[in-house]
Amino acid sequence: MSDASLAFEDVVCGYGDTMVVRGVTGWVEPGRVLGIVGRNGVGKSTLLKALAGFLPVSRGRVRWRGEDLRSVPAHARLSAGLAYAPQENVVFGELSVAENLWLHLPDRNPARYAALLEAFPRLTERLKQRAGLLSGGERKLLSFTRTLGVQATLSMLDEPTEGVQPENIDRMARLVRALKASGRSFAIVEQNLTFIEQVADDVLVLDHGECVRAGSMAALGREALERHLLV
Amino acid sequence: MRRLRGRSLWPAAALAAALVALPLVGNDFLAYQVALFLIYGIATQGVALCWGRLGFLPLGHALFFGLGAYLAGGTAKAGVAQPLWWLAFPLALLLPALLAWVVARLVFARRMRSGPYFSLITLAMTMLGFLAAQQWTGLTGGFNGMGDIPEPPGLERFSTLYWLVAAAAVASTAALGVLVGRPLGVLWRAIAQNEERLQLFGYATDRIKANAYALSALLAAGAGALFATHQGIVTPQAMSFVLATEFVIWAAVGGKASPLGALLGAVIVGYASAELRDHFATWEVFVGLLFIAVVRFLPEGLSGLAGMKVLRAARPRLAPVPAPPARAPRQVPALVYDNVRSSQGGVRILDGLSFRLEGPGIRAVIGPNGAGKTSAFNVLTGHLPVIGGRILAGGRDVTGQAAWRVARMGVGRKLQVPSVFAELTVRENLCVALWAGRLNAPAALRNAPHAWHTPLLDEMLGCFPELAASLDEPAGRLSQGHRQALEFVMTVLPEPHLLLLDEPCAGLSPAETHQMIQVIQRAVRRLNAAALLIEHDLAAVAALQGEVYVFHQGRMLAQGSLQAMQADVAVRAVYAGARK
Amino acid sequence: MTMDGGTLLHSLNLVYELATLALTTLGLAVVFGLLGVMNMAHGEFVMIGAYSVVAVQQWGLPTIAAFPLAIAVCAALGWVVERWLIRPLYRRPFDTLLATWALAMLMRKVVEAIWGKGFRNVDNALTVAVPIGDTSYPAYRLGLIALAIVLLAALSFWYRRSSAGLRVRAMTGNPILAQALGIDTQRLASRTFVVGVVFAGAAGVMLAPLIRVEPGIGVDYLLDGFFVLVVGGLGTLGGFAGGVGVIGGSQALVSSIAGQTSGYAVVLIISILFLWLKPDGIFSRR
Repeated sequence: MSDASLAFEDVVCGYGDTMVVRGVTGWVEPGRVLGIVGRNGVGKSTLLKALAGFLPVSRGRVRWRGEDLRSVPAHARLSAGLAYAPQENVVFGELSVAENLWLHLPDRNPARYAALLEAFPRLTERLKQRAGLLSGGERKLLSFTRTLGVQATLSMLDEPTEGVQPENIDRMARLVRALKASGRSFAIVEQNLTFIEQVADDVLVLDHGECVRAGSMAALGREALERHLLV
Repeated sequence: MRRLRGRSLWPAAALAAALVALPLVGNDFLAYQVALFLIYGIATQGVALCWGRLGFLPLGHALFFGLGAYLAGGTAKAGVAQPLWWLAFPLALLLPALLAWVVARLVFARRMRSGPYFSLITLAMTMLGFLAAQQWTGLTGGFNGMGDIPEPPGLERFSTLYWLVAAAAVASTAALGVLVGRPLGVLWRAIAQNEERLQLFGYATDRIKANAYALSALLAAGAGALFATHQGIVTPQAMSFVLATEFVIWAAVGGKASPLGALLGAVIVGYASAELRDHFATWEVFVGLLFIAVVRFLPEGLSGLAGMKVLRAARPRLAPVPAPPARAPRQVPALVYDNVRSSQGGVRILDGLSFRLEGPGIRAVIGPNGAGKTSAFNVLTGHLPVIGGRILAGGRDVTGQAAWRVARMGVGRKLQVPSVFAELTVRENLCVALWAGRLNAPAALRNAPHAWHTPLLDEMLGCFPELAASLDEPAGRLSQGHRQALEFVMTVLPEPHLLLLDEPCAGLSPAETHQMIQVIQRAVRRLNAAALLIEHDLAAVAALQGEVYVFHQGRMLAQGSLQAMQADVAVRAVYAGARK
Repeated sequence: MTMDGGTLLHSLNLVYELATLALTTLGLAVVFGLLGVMNMAHGEFVMIGAYSVVAVQQWGLPTIAAFPLAIAVCAALGWVVERWLIRPLYRRPFDTLLATWALAMLMRKVVEAIWGKGFRNVDNALTVAVPIGDTSYPAYRLGLIALAIVLLAALSFWYRRSSAGLRVRAMTGNPILAQALGIDTQRLASRTFVVGVVFAGAAGVMLAPLIRVEPGIGVDYLLDGFFVLVVGGLGTLGGFAGGVGVIGGSQALVSSIAGQTSGYAVVLIISILFLWLKPDGIFSRR
């Protein structure tokens, strides 16, 4: 495990006095994608929220590039190289699509989003519209585009394909693979196994807040994952 | 925190002793001065009742105090010439209470989170009253006030009136102290802790709050009436926001959860202020700082420091008494969702959800994130607006009804996050649930309902011995598993015939899940009820062996047995993302 | 077509009432409308602005020095209050209400301790009246009206176009996402709060020559401000203008017919009705 990676060990976190994640270990290396799968309510989103800094980690360690991440407040993680796309409330509904894309960037260099917007012409059409008027799937596309456009070293995505049309899911997978090749890494929580099959190198399966299977995608195979997912 | 052994009348008795001793130890003039602050103290108790017990803050209670004072003064003065006017004297208390009740009903009916706005409205009303008192000179004597108010017949202002005031203070402290221990008092505390949950049992909380506000206005108006006769003159200052703020400060510093504390807050801080404010220009600044410090760091006030918090009466262990029958309907209402649509924040949450539920039995509801499972429950209990389609329960259109109305039709709901009344004991939590649909107004004021029990309650406590063992513990201290158990038991106690259970096994270990499923099955069979159960746990759903509804994107995707659903191609596609 | 002197005067007075209402409510629109903080001490910040003029004239300084004084005091006090009183109570509107009400009382008492409870009059250098049509109107009031219009236009432009305004809009709409994109929401909220109370103080400075300056004037501005926001809705300029129009207009109209008490009563009733029937206001986007 190199230092330019995210590593979390025995992480315990939850809400109030209810611990949802009960000791999960994993890591993401540069240029690789970690898929986090499991049924509803097993703690996938909770884990990602804790890694992004929006939930306190009760026990365990989280290290990014060798440094303890727990002292870094959530808003400072972007400049440390970590991007996060939440599962709900994924856009700024009151702002236009364009403002959603450029809000956090000092310069408006179109090259940054060129490839992404080309893949999703629907967004280009609606640049001036309020993001709140987009459908659920389109909002997820906008969130995906924005997160990839940030060009962070590690991007954490929570259910990026929820509500998205199958053709666009294919394009999303292609874009992620292209970015992998240039050294960027991803941690993706997903229930869509087809997408995971296409992008993930390693997989972490959660159940009841604990890790029940882990390994490379190639070694595990889709059947094994499906068994853990249904219902 | 040790429970103080003693009757709920202990504070009032102590107060009575002190007040009797006062003129003997001091002199008549001291008694006269203290009486003024006892009067203010009664009004302060009104503020403390709403704020400390029910959780909403009246910022303008001086309005009712002033109204009571002016009305009482006016009738007393008229009574000098024409004694029949004395018959109108009770109006001095009743009219302000009526005004309070009307305004509270209007504001609370519509919007549950209206607490802060309500405070603003009470403040604005006081400002209006102050303006009117200054301008309607003919009625009120304007800026100079209404003077020459006679003493009450048979009492002398500077000597014997003290005993009337002292008696009133003792009576109000006693009454409030007793009320807290009665079922009504428990309901008040429940409202302050979790009003939404209380509504799900069928309690019309806006009415309970309005009644309490009217009671507090009655106290303030009564104090105002005493004020008029005690001082002999009423000026607009009696209706000013300055006085209203002082009530709040005294309640905060003395202790808003304790009637005696609130009274003493007025007497001690008020009396000290009156003596010291002319000597030290910065005394008022000190009081302001004290107020901020109390608000920020000492929510229970000084009486909280002294350990006087919520003197719970050591209730005599009454023999268990069978409860009256529940008023919930006896039949399982047929539940029909007809093309129900709902949106929030621009996102379509339910998109034409239709299904029909008839007859008793448990159905499991499953589906991926965002499928609309909890939302389907939310539209039934009035938490989510319905923009299209209808919901019928027992043939009646219940679309958009308030949560408590739906609950009274025999619908019980267990929330996704286990929701109990954290600062009430487990026993009190169970009582609140048991009383739903069984308690009427007179019973709410008697001790007997504390001893009610039903066979279902006994059976449930038998299934969850850990609950039976912690009956006197605050519910907030229970572990997640026990809290789920408690909330489930509370949900079934009113004996509903349609149960909406949202993830009752969330956070439970596999063993606890197994136990919970068994208890759920038992309760449903006993009640002969229909139940919809949202679950993610495969083992739990399998153990239920009932029909399974699969939701997806705000609609019903498929229904059938669990094996059939697991084999269904469309269901597999939705869960695993395979291409159709 | 000329308006006769009387009508023109009435119209100018109405516009003046609306302008002062807009100026004194602006700060609350920022603090409550944008940040959602029920600042019950809002009126007291206006009062401090007014007393800055009193202080400055007492010390023999030019009146214009009241501006930097008021801004400095309000900014410093606002920063401290946000840090120690507002931020710890952020998710509890009820506790915020009470804490700021306590703060309001403290501010009143401090001012009373220094200047006493009586009211002060402040010298107004600009007492010249400008002839308009058939009548004449005080230049100072005209200046106030003009300032209100300019300020509202500038604020609206800033909110919609500037990058700072963009970040504020992002933060109020979706604070978690804002943090995920690197916005330090705590610092931004603190600065926005300070801006809000500074607006209140500045309004107090401008109004001082036109009103009786006494410690208790804050509550009226507070209530009027809340009524404007309840009726107009939070977070939009259109709502703000609408609220000012409805509240200010009805109060002025009814007062001129039936007296001040009735005017106030009508405003109170309108606000209760809105809270009861349409709690999000006329134009709310939230």
